[in-house]
Amino acid sequence: MAGDAEIDFVGLSHELEAQELDAPGGVASPQLYGQLLALYLLHNDTISSKFLWKRIPNNIKQGNPELSLIWVVGQHMWKRDYPSIYESLRKDWSDSVKPIMNALNESMRRRAMNLVRKAYASINVDDFAVFMGMPVAEAKQAAIVEGWSLDPQSKFLTPKKIELVSTVTLPNEQHLSVLTDYVSFLEN
Amino acid sequence: MPLPLQQGLFQGQAAVEPMQVDGAPEENDNIEEEPQYTVENPSLDLEQHASQYTGLARLHRLMFIADHCPSLRVEGLRMALNYVMTTYNTNLYGIIHRKLQEAVSSSSSLPDAVAGSVHNVPPLDVPWMETTAKKAAFKLEKLDTDLKNYKSNSIKESIRRGHDDLGDHYLDCGDLTNALKCYSRARDYCTNPKHVVNMCLNVIKVSVYLQNWSHVLSYVNKAEATPDSESTTKEANLTVQSRLKCAAGLADLATRKYKSAAKHFLQANFDHCDFPELLSPSNVATYGALCALASFDRQELQHNVIGSSSFKQFLELEPQLRDILHNFYESKYAKCLKLLGDIKDNLLLDLYLAPHVSPLYTQIRNRALCQVSSQCLVTCTVVPVMKDLPGPPTCPPLYTQIRNRALCQYFSPYLSADMRKMASAFNTSVGALEDELMQLILEGQINARIDSHNKILYAKDIDQRSSTFEKSLTVGRDYQRRTKALILRAAVLKNQIHVKSPPREGGQGGEMSIAPGSASAARN
Amino acid sequence: MAANLEQFVSNVQTMSSSASFTNMVEYVSKSMDALAKNHAHIDTALATLSYSEHSIGVLALLVVKLSGAHIQDFETLYVQVQEFVSSCSEEQIKFAPETFAELCHKFTLQLVDRKQAQRGITILCQAIRKVQTHLALLTSIHPCLCQLCLLAKNFKPALSFLDVDITEISRESGHYDAKDFLLYFYYGGMIYTALKNYNRALYFFEMAVTTPSMAVSHITLESYKKFILVALIVQGKIPTLPKYAPQVVPRYIKPLCQAYHDLATAYGSNNPADVRSVITKHNDTFVRDNNMGLVKQCETALYKKNIQRLTKTFLTLSLADMANRVQLTGSREAEKYVLHMIEDGEIYATINQKDGMVRFHDNPEKYNSAAMLLELDKEMQKCIRMDEKIKEMDREIAVNPQYVQKVSGIHDEDMPASTSKGQGF
Repeated sequence: MAGDAEIDFVGLSHELEAQELDAPGGVASPQLYGQLLALYLLHNDTISSKFLWKRIPNNIKQGNPELSLIWVVGQHMWKRDYPSIYESLRKDWSDSVKPIMNALNESMRRRAMNLVRKAYASINVDDFAVFMGMPVAEAKQAAIVEGWSLDPQSKFLTPKKIELVSTVTLPNEQHLSVLTDYVSFLEN
Repeated sequence: MPLPLQQGLFQGQAAVEPMQVDGAPEENDNIEEEPQYTVENPSLDLEQHASQYTGLARLHRLMFIADHCPSLRVEGLRMALNYVMTTYNTNLYGIIHRKLQEAVSSSSSLPDAVAGSVHNVPPLDVPWMETTAKKAAFKLEKLDTDLKNYKSNSIKESIRRGHDDLGDHYLDCGDLTNALKCYSRARDYCTNPKHVVNMCLNVIKVSVYLQNWSHVLSYVNKAEATPDSESTTKEANLTVQSRLKCAAGLADLATRKYKSAAKHFLQANFDHCDFPELLSPSNVATYGALCALASFDRQELQHNVIGSSSFKQFLELEPQLRDILHNFYESKYAKCLKLLGDIKDNLLLDLYLAPHVSPLYTQIRNRALCQVSSQCLVTCTVVPVMKDLPGPPTCPPLYTQIRNRALCQYFSPYLSADMRKMASAFNTSVGALEDELMQLILEGQINARIDSHNKILYAKDIDQRSSTFEKSLTVGRDYQRRTKALILRAAVLKNQIHVKSPPREGGQGGEMSIAPGSASAARN
Repeated sequence: MAANLEQFVSNVQTMSSSASFTNMVEYVSKSMDALAKNHAHIDTALATLSYSEHSIGVLALLVVKLSGAHIQDFETLYVQVQEFVSSCSEEQIKFAPETFAELCHKFTLQLVDRKQAQRGITILCQAIRKVQTHLALLTSIHPCLCQLCLLAKNFKPALSFLDVDITEISRESGHYDAKDFLLYFYYGGMIYTALKNYNRALYFFEMAVTTPSMAVSHITLESYKKFILVALIVQGKIPTLPKYAPQVVPRYIKPLCQAYHDLATAYGSNNPADVRSVITKHNDTFVRDNNMGLVKQCETALYKKNIQRLTKTFLTLSLADMANRVQLTGSREAEKYVLHMIEDGEIYATINQKDGMVRFHDNPEKYNSAAMLLELDKEMQKCIRMDEKIKEMDREIAVNPQYVQKVSGIHDEDMPASTSKGQGF
């Protein structure tokens, strides 16, 4: 998503939540619902999205087909049905939700790739393409870029594991004071 | 010791039917628990065996043997009959006589009276019973009066002795409950530690006859806690100590605490082991050795039993047991188990040992298997044993246990084992073996993982460090949860919140019916 | 304005300015009946009084309005309540906590009746914050909020309250009822269950079930049923209740939950077929209790549990074999389950499609990173704080004069020589 500045999706979702609660008559605008629903999906918070869907009044659902489309994506995400997710994402979204849905698409791909990397020692290229929502050739390309090896005969990919590097450190003086606290606690 | 005697010693006691000899011959509760079994071919010299005991000990044992061994029944009962006539125990006399009659008539085809005279069973000596009963009553009255006199004179020592005498008499008559009462009453009149110890010993004796093991143990503790007084000699002390240890060991044996029993028996002193009204030195040897075999590990066995100079003397009384011990220690398991099998019959006739023969043997066998596989990396010695044991699902639970033990121990020296070889060693298919192993791993008996792809079993090292961290985090979270609950509960109690029954409050139920309905529609 | 009301208003104004709030509370409670009679004119009275200065008076008026048999103009009332809650004076409210709570209760009822639960959420959140002297104080308004959230299907607002561990319960002048307590934990448990935070849900249901009781409450009954189901999902078995659980539970409640216990027994056998047959057998009960959703989750949880058992015993396992052992329909489904569990972090494994095998790993956490150190540190701090709290509570009791008297009284009785009985300090 080149162009716009980074949209703070998290902050936006908090805002929308507060707005929903304060909405007159307890019912918010369809736009708000749409955005919030999409945001939940982006954060992979399928539970919240489900309940949000349940509380959107029926008349709003009926009057705004886009909401149902967003929810369809959510349903597929709940079932972790990757091909359907990508399929359902390929829609013409309105401006209020477009950036969110695009971000969602990206993050789905990333998530899928990470998952495959984590979970598979070897995976069929076709299956991988399904995970990525890309045609097979593109998927192969993506994999090779990541440094995965492909066995042309058997069509199996071997993902490469990444070592996670922890960036958290603790300053030494803090160490000492913490330890002193513990010892004094234990001795009392 | 000549052979007949040691076999006699193996008979021992069977805890099946402690004869309730106070009052009418009532059925004992224990009877339905124990399966009635008979021993067909004991090698026991009954007379020698019986002569080691006195009093009720002898009678109980003889009756036990008689109940469980058809071939020795008549002889045993006859001996018991003769002996009981030296006591005041008319009740027991009646019982024994009746049993003898039955035994004799069932073992011969002649009509009763004839059979009786043929086998030389004297008829029920009613006059003797009457006279003895009268004598007993008379003596009882006298002792009672004496006791009353002492009490009015308030001489503690005499009162105490009076109680003791009364207790002794009741014991002689076979009235165990009253005997116990009298002995216990003597407690209040004990003036020095020696008396206390004496009282304890008496109570222990009766409790053993009554098979009240918790009583036995508590009084043993009491006696041991009594400080020694200067008036007792070292000799007397040692005797008392040995006696206490043996009583404690007996109690532990009866309550299946085999390790503790072994420890107690091992502390008995051979030179001061003389309590024919309780058990014989060879009993000590048998019980001690068997319990030790079943519960001690190699080091303990070596240190406390085989290497013990004091226990060695006991073992001299039982060469067979000594051989068993040595064979076990030298890993000659086949021989050891075979010898155990040989003496089993005699052990089953022991009043106190019989119900424990089976569990003791199982444990000894398991230990043997443990040591087999931990000592030898080659499967050959294990396999022959294992091949004879039937596999699941046909085998009874005991065998399953042994089999599992064997599986565990088979694997223990290995880092990885080929499951196919293992399956053939255990006479089963790889699939079934996999299931068996899975069960064992889940129960925590084997620390391993199955590589189902290559059919290899890998030993798994537990990373102590990681598991400690994990555990500490779990404990921490657990603590937090419990503490939170407690704090909440404290608040609840402080506010005296509790659910009362509904009278005036109105709808505790009424209003609530809305709540679950509407609210849970929200969920899922 | 009717005379009574005028009187009332001026009294309120005078008392408020003199800050004699206790008197005012008394006066107000006495006047409730009179106010009720003058229902029609309450709005005028409300207009005259200031919400922040005369909070107690306004409170009484609003309560009367809400207690009315039929409320014509709910919207106005809604706005009035909204304004009141946001602008009332905390100091004054503290003198009449039970009336304030009553206000919230009645308000909630009205919203529920009109199916407008969503609108009350923010208001109640504010209300609770006004009344709470500290964050860990439980009031009777809490369950109202939870109820609204449940009905509105909007749980996040309640979480900020639910996540706090309660250390104190508001007395509300003796009006706090066991029902409020039970409801809070029952609703809270349901909310957590909906959010799939099963551990916390279990804790909440357990609290509801172990409330001291002499009688059976429907709430406890329902809590118990959910307790069983959530326990099955979390632990695979019904945990033993702590010793202080009331006798009522095993004696009366347990026999009423036979279906659930059957399910638990079937669960213990680790056999999905058994579990499914129990579910079909008791289908009606589960549906009637509105617990079918949870029950279905138990079923899925069983498959996961079985797979986790496999991770403990196997190093590698073929997908087909796994499907067999766990009673799934085939290796494809097994692969999906394993994949989901890996994604959720419930097991550590890699799938090898080439061989159709799954390889199980140990927890890769080596406990040697700085992040783990921080985590441990955090946990330890929590435990230390808990310990301090307990010590503090202990100290409080130790210096409580009643307690001291009792303890020293007992000592006195023990010593036969002492003639002074019950002589406290």
